[in-house]
Amino acid sequence: MRHITDEDLTLLYYGEHEDPALAVRVAESEELSARYDALCAELKLADAYQPPLRGDDYGAEVWQRISSRLGENDSRSTVRFSAWLASLVQPRFSLAGALSIALVAALAFMLGRNGGPDINNDPMAPKGVTTMAMVDIDSDRLLNRSVATHLEQVNIVLTQFVNTSETSTNETEHATDMLVANRLYRQAAEAQGNQKLAAFLADLEPLLIELAYQAQSGSAATRERMQQEIKDGLLFRVRVMNNQLNKPVISV
Amino acid sequence: MHHPANLSRHPSVYTSEMTQTEQKIIRKAAKGDRAAFRQLVLEHSHAMFRLAWRLSGDESIAEDIVQEAFIKAWRKIGEFRMDASFKSWLHRITVNTAMDYLRKHVRRKQFETAEPEWETNEHAAALPDTDTQIDISRQTQAAMMDLSEAERTALLLKHYEGHSIEEVAHIMEITTGACKQNIFRAVKKMRVALRPLVAT
Repeated sequence: MRHITDEDLTLLYYGEHEDPALAVRVAESEELSARYDALCAELKLADAYQPPLRGDDYGAEVWQRISSRLGENDSRSTVRFSAWLASLVQPRFSLAGALSIALVAALAFMLGRNGGPDINNDPMAPKGVTTMAMVDIDSDRLLNRSVATHLEQVNIVLTQFVNTSETSTNETEHATDMLVANRLYRQAAEAQGNQKLAAFLADLEPLLIELAYQAQSGSAATRERMQQEIKDGLLFRVRVMNNQLNKPVISV
Repeated sequence: MHHPANLSRHPSVYTSEMTQTEQKIIRKAAKGDRAAFRQLVLEHSHAMFRLAWRLSGDESIAEDIVQEAFIKAWRKIGEFRMDASFKSWLHRITVNTAMDYLRKHVRRKQFETAEPEWETNEHAAALPDTDTQIDISRQTQAAMMDLSEAERTALLLKHYEGHSIEEVAHIMEITTGACKQNIFRAVKKMRVALRPLVAT
């Protein structure tokens, strides 16, 4: 009878051994069982080597990072033309812009509240920039204007969604963009203490999540339910909030 | 004893067969449909991150590798053959991207001194709850990084990703015989490194 090597046991462990009788032979032999058990125990420890988990929206984050870097080649000219045509009727949106504005708004708020660093006495500070100039940034106004622009995009996408029976190819992509921006604006609003605006943006999130992840793969019934939900008041609330934010003096 | 006939830790979840829906999406992506490719990104990002992280041992490097691998996949998706496994194809690109990246950017010393990332990662779900588990994870990572590139890649694809030896060989572009030898050597080294921890 052939000697059973550790390589045989490794193949058995991974379910790759060609001899189906080997498992029985190992089970019947005390010596082989002990060797196999030792191998199992040692390899089982390797299972502790687990990567950090990514969030549920990691795939969307990856897409956000790579989508602008995906080049197109000539063989895809038809698709490229279609995409260009579609872009004419799609809402314009800039995640990078949203991120910058949200960060600037949060920074402006922090400087305004804390007085900011005394850069007038800082030899490293850029010439011509004063503390007062930094503090003078009206963070409330900046955030409100940014969110108003964001809500205009939301309004367009939701209106398109409730008036079409089929999911367009770019619908979920825009929803993902808006979801990321919405979170940034909500966090900026929370940082500014604008709880009403933050709560409104938080109310929008579940729908944007559903639009981003379920609209395309969901059933017709799901789409109808979401459309009804939007018609029943969410769209109206978006428009009202947008109007409020566009007023010269805003207190939300 | 762990009954050898019970091989349920490698269930059929690892099957390489693609559904018709996935084939349809891949065909659309191959024609340049970005929305279709986006679906593939959403579907495979987590798995690619896991593989990239185990190959690199570093969270931010793994994220870079995933992004680069997807960009390469987009450029090459027209070359994908439908009779192959898309997951294996993506893993092949990820492995090649990781190897290129690591050869260019990473010194091996980083792995030896790196702290396990779950110690600082707020998203980590399976946080070790004892010092022993931390030690095991650290020891495993160190042992893994002591393997040669080929040994480590073969073991990762076999042990953690559940590919068949034939698939691993295909991904690594080596013969099944060479693939087996890499796995055997890797297992042997890992066992030596982990054996002292079995009793703890």
